[in-house]
Order: sequence, then C-alpha cells, then structure tokens
Amino acid sequence: MGDEVKLAFDLLAFISVMVLIVLGLGIIASMMGIFNFAHGEFVLLGAYTVYLFQDSGLSAWAGILAAPVVLAVVGLVLERLVIRRFYAAPIVAMLGTYAIGLMIRETVRALLGGQYKSINEPLSGAFVVFGLNFSVWRTVIVLTTILVIAGTWFFLSRTSVGLQVRGALENPNLARACGISTSKLYAATFAFGAALAGLAGALIVPLYQLSADIGTRFLVQAFLSVMLGGVGTFEGPVLGAAAVGGMAAGLPWIVIPVLADPLVFVIALAFVKFRPQGFITQGRL
Amino acid sequence: MTDKRSREDLSRQGLGRRRLMGAGALSAAGWIAGGGGWLLAPKGAYAADPIKMGIATDITGAIAPSGNANWQVAQFTVEQINKGGGVLGRPIELYLEDTASDPKIAVGNVRKLIQERKVNVVLGGITSAMRQAIKDPIVNRGRTLYIYPQLYEGQECTKHLYCTGPTPAQQCDKLIPYLIKTVGKKRFAMPSANYVWPQLLNKYARKVIEANGGEVVFEEYYPLDQAEYSATIGKIRDGKVDCVFNTVIPPGLQPFVKQLYESGFQKNGGVLTCVYYDENLLNYHPAQEMEGLYSCLDYFQSVDDPFSKQLQADYSKKFPDTKYLFTAGSAATGMYRGVKFYEAAVKATNGDLAREAVSAAMDKAKIAQGPGGGAEMVPGHMHCKMNMYIAQCKVDAGKTRYDVISKADMVDPKEC
Repeated sequence: MGDEVKLAFDLLAFISVMVLIVLGLGIIASMMGIFNFAHGEFVLLGAYTVYLFQDSGLSAWAGILAAPVVLAVVGLVLERLVIRRFYAAPIVAMLGTYAIGLMIRETVRALLGGQYKSINEPLSGAFVVFGLNFSVWRTVIVLTTILVIAGTWFFLSRTSVGLQVRGALENPNLARACGISTSKLYAATFAFGAALAGLAGALIVPLYQLSADIGTRFLVQAFLSVMLGGVGTFEGPVLGAAAVGGMAAGLPWIVIPVLADPLVFVIALAFVKFRPQGFITQGRL
Repeated sequence: MTDKRSREDLSRQGLGRRRLMGAGALSAAGWIAGGGGWLLAPKGAYAADPIKMGIATDITGAIAPSGNANWQVAQFTVEQINKGGGVLGRPIELYLEDTASDPKIAVGNVRKLIQERKVNVVLGGITSAMRQAIKDPIVNRGRTLYIYPQLYEGQECTKHLYCTGPTPAQQCDKLIPYLIKTVGKKRFAMPSANYVWPQLLNKYARKVIEANGGEVVFEEYYPLDQAEYSATIGKIRDGKVDCVFNTVIPPGLQPFVKQLYESGFQKNGGVLTCVYYDENLLNYHPAQEMEGLYSCLDYFQSVDDPFSKQLQADYSKKFPDTKYLFTAGSAATGMYRGVKFYEAAVKATNGDLAREAVSAAMDKAKIAQGPGGGAEMVPGHMHCKMNMYIAQCKVDAGKTRYDVISKADMVDPKEC
C-alpha cells in the first residue's frame, strides 16, 4: 500500500513539473499561434535568476518571486522588438524564437563556465505521513502547480480581461472593431507565458541543478504535450502535459528505461494519428 | 574567387568567435595567423629547435570545463619543464586545437596539428568517442605518437597510443573489495548512463563484485538526460540494495542523486559510490546529498604528499581563482603524467624525436613524481601503473571535502 502511495506521489510530482513547464508554452501557442522555441531558455532564465539571488547571498524565496517578474519583462521586450514581426509567418517564428533561445542558452553557458550549479531547496528535507517520506519541495511544486492552473483558468474564463483575450483569439478583426487593442493583448499574453516559464524554471531548478540545458531537455516533451492536448484551448496542453509526464515517469516501471522515452513518443503519435485535434476539441478558450 | 574568399573569411570568423568563448584559458596564447589554432611559444632563448607538442582538447562545447582544465594543466606543466631548461636543452612549444566536444569538427582540426604544424606528439581527447575519432588521423594516417589522458573503460590497445588515466581495474580492484569486506555491503545496483564507458566499466565491476562474494541486483541503462527516476528508486528499495555503484552522468545525474537521497537510502545505511567523482563534482549537488559517497581515483586534492601539494599550490599561483581545477576526474592528472612521460621518453632517446624511437622509450618510461605520486608504463601494455586512492566525501558545516581512506601503491592497469 505504502509503495503505491509513494508511486502516485512521484508521478504527481513529475506531472506537476511537466504541467508547469508546458503551461506557458501552451498559452502562447493557443492564444497567439506562435510555437515559442525559446521557451526552454525562458525556463533557464527563471532558474538562472534564482541562482543569481542565491549567489549574491539573497534569499532563494526572493529569487523565486523575482523570476516571473524578470521573465515578464524579458518576454515583453522580446515581443515588442522581435516576436510581433512574426505573427504573419508562424514558420519563421519558430526559427526566430529558436535563434533567440540559442543566444540565451549559449550566453548563460558561457556565464556558468559550462559547469553545473547546485541550487538548494528553500524548504529541504521530507515530512513523514503514515511512515512514508514525502519531499517537502516536491509537495510545494505540486501545490503551486494546482494554484497556478486554477488562477490562470479563473483569469481567462472569469475576468473581463480574460474575455477580451478570448475574443481577440476567436476573431482578431472583430475584437479590434470593438475597440480591443489586440497588439497590447498579444504583448501581455507573451509576457504572461514567459512569466510562467520563469516561475517553472525557478521552482524546478532545485530538483535538477542549473545548467544551460535545463530547459532544452523538457522542450521536446513540452511540444509533444501541446500537440497531444490540442492547440487552441487552455485545458488541452495541461492534460497533454499530464499524460506525457505520467507516461515518462510511469513507463520505466514497466519497460527498460532506454525504451521508455521513445515509447512515450510512439504512444502519443499513435494517439494523434487517430485524433489529430488532440484531447480537447470543443472550440477555443 | 571573391565568393570563395569571403566564405572562408566568414568561416574563420565563426571559428574565432566560438573559440573566444574559452578565451579565459587562451589569454596567454597567441593566435596563429592563417590556418587558425593557438600557439604557446616558450619565453627566453634556447640553443636548440623546440619540440612541438600538440594539444587537442575540448575548449568549447558540452565538456569545455574538462577541456579547459586540460589545456591549463598542459600549459602549466610545459612551463615548468621549459623553466627548468627544457628537454635536453630544447624547449617545448605548445599547439592547441579545439576539438569542440564534437568528433566531426575534431578530425579536421587534429589533422591541422599533424599536417600544418607537424607536431611531434598529440595529447588530448576526453570522451571515448573523441579518442576513437581522432586516433586514426593521429596514429595511423598521421604517423604521430598519441597520448590519451582520461580515465576510461579500457580496451584501447592501438600501437603508439598511450593511456595515462586510470582503467576499470585500477578503479575497481581496490574499491569494490573495500566496500564488500570493510564497509560490509553486499547487494549492488548499477544505474548507468547509456554509453560505452558505463557498459564496459560495469562489465568489469560485476566480475569483481561477484568474485568478492557480492551480488548485482540490477544493472540498468538510462538516456543521458533522464529527469525522473522513481522506477529506479523503487527497484533499489524492493531489491534491498545496500550499495549503489553509480555511472549515471550529468545532466541525468543530479535528479537521480536527489531522488535517491530523498528516498532515505543513505539514512537507512545504504552506500553510494561513483568512481568518477572528483572535486568538481562537489559543487554539483547540495552537501547533504554527497555525504558518505565513496570514490576511487588516482589523485585527490587532500592526498597528503608534499610534491602533490606543491604542484597544486603552483597551479593556483599560475591560474589564480580559476574555474578549471587540477583534478583527476577531468583528465587533468592524466595530462600532467602524459607530458612528463613524453619528457622522460625523449630524454631516454637522447633527443631523437622519431616516432618509433620515442614510442619504444615511452613503453618503459617512468616518472618519479606527479599528482598522487609517480607512475610507470607497463612495458608492452600502453597503460601505466599508478597509485590509487579511495576517498569518502565528508560534510562539515555545509562544506564538502574528500577524506582519503586508503592508498594502494602502483596498481596494475590490467589492459592489453
């Protein structure tokens, strides 16, 4: 019994990590039709922010709070300078964001001297329930993920700004005719997606240690999640991330680990073959 | 024609920029105009022609930290030799080519060392993939002596290729019996990254474990960047494993070690051991996760040997506050030995630099001192005997260090 609970917790913890990472990517892809290949590097910058705080003797909590703010600013600047020129050409957008990501990644690699840096959890150790050890920090990640999902959902579906965002997504021309500035909304959406990536990076870095490639290792699986869940909705990518994360963590129990990774892709691609629109179909947000 | 020239210029610029990423290590060197590459010319006047030594290592790319450490140690060692009057009065001139952590780039650059610079010996290569890629251009087509400095999986028996890092036998023969007989651990798990070094090291380690009455509960290979190990932790718990013989490497390493620690493995008496852990790795994990870890290498900075201590002090003086440490795991100690073995061999041939002659002398070369002690080539086997140390990681007030537990003198490499 204890082992099953532990397994369920481990799965949930890894699913939360995946969902956190995918959320920002999914929102940008769904709302703006841009596949942001620099998303992994936004995650990296979030992690790097925490490292800078820790390195200069400040509290890691402050770093975690600062990371989304820093990334929102980075996202806003990038959207104004570069991304907005790509809305008409999604393929060029992929290449452009990839180039941005590459620049960020290699700059951070040079700053780190190519080394790995260990970041301590602000809350370390484990708490014991019914004789089972649960990592405190993984619990924090699970809870934060739930809060972020709930908050984002509430924002998009229950507030007037959310309504404008959805309207701009549904029919940009009509939204503009109604006096909604889609250009401002897109900038805000991109900044919001970047902020979520920054938060994800800041929260997961104590689990994985900082290296320039911390974001790239999740990026392909994150895109798979968005594809599996379906572009154009909020719930889709979240469910997709849950499925991909669950498979990535669960399959090594059943098959040898080197097969688990490709198998995640095989299963996901087979699913998409029969259901190209992904999990969620009914309309967009 | 103009087109071609501008393209060449562009590609050279590109290389230059990439090289600049490692500029810290290169500041002392000069750019060789024309073909690219770096030259470190000896200072002062010498009576005779210099000996040309080629260094082919990873200044950029994924394993740049190790490559830069190698380059710094090569500069350091050669400077010491040149200050002492060179080899039989001849100075050593260093030529660097970046292998860029990419065997495809490396082959072309190494060829430059051989064909344009006409070096007398090449030292370098860190990963096995790199060694496999550059050994043919150096040894066979290039007819040049090659010295490979990194600890590795063994089974490299090419003529004129000398290995100066520890082999599986050197890393396992003392450590595993110690873990079984002295620490009292019997049930081993072998979580591993999926590439050649763990595969062959595990094959050897398994023999030693079984010969000493231990048991391998499971041996498993993971993609190099695996991020989630709960299934592995489950197997360690269910299999009642009491010793994890780890060959998972970064970036998959840190999440594995963290999950192992969180599962309470060490707290419940389990032992983690990993034979490539040197001083660099201390910063890869939070201190508490490292406590109690066993490693076995040819040198630790805490080894109590006056010569090694002096070496370390001189290195810090030449490269103050460097990010690139003089440690065993990054092939730096092997690089030192390699340069010194070559010096000894050239002395033995009385200055004859012909490959056959130097190679014959290399085969029997000895160095009296080095990091961790002296070393000697095992004639006919292209590998060297060296001292090996078992060390354990201790934590004091959040600071990690290695305590040397035991020293084995002149351990046989058992290769070829």
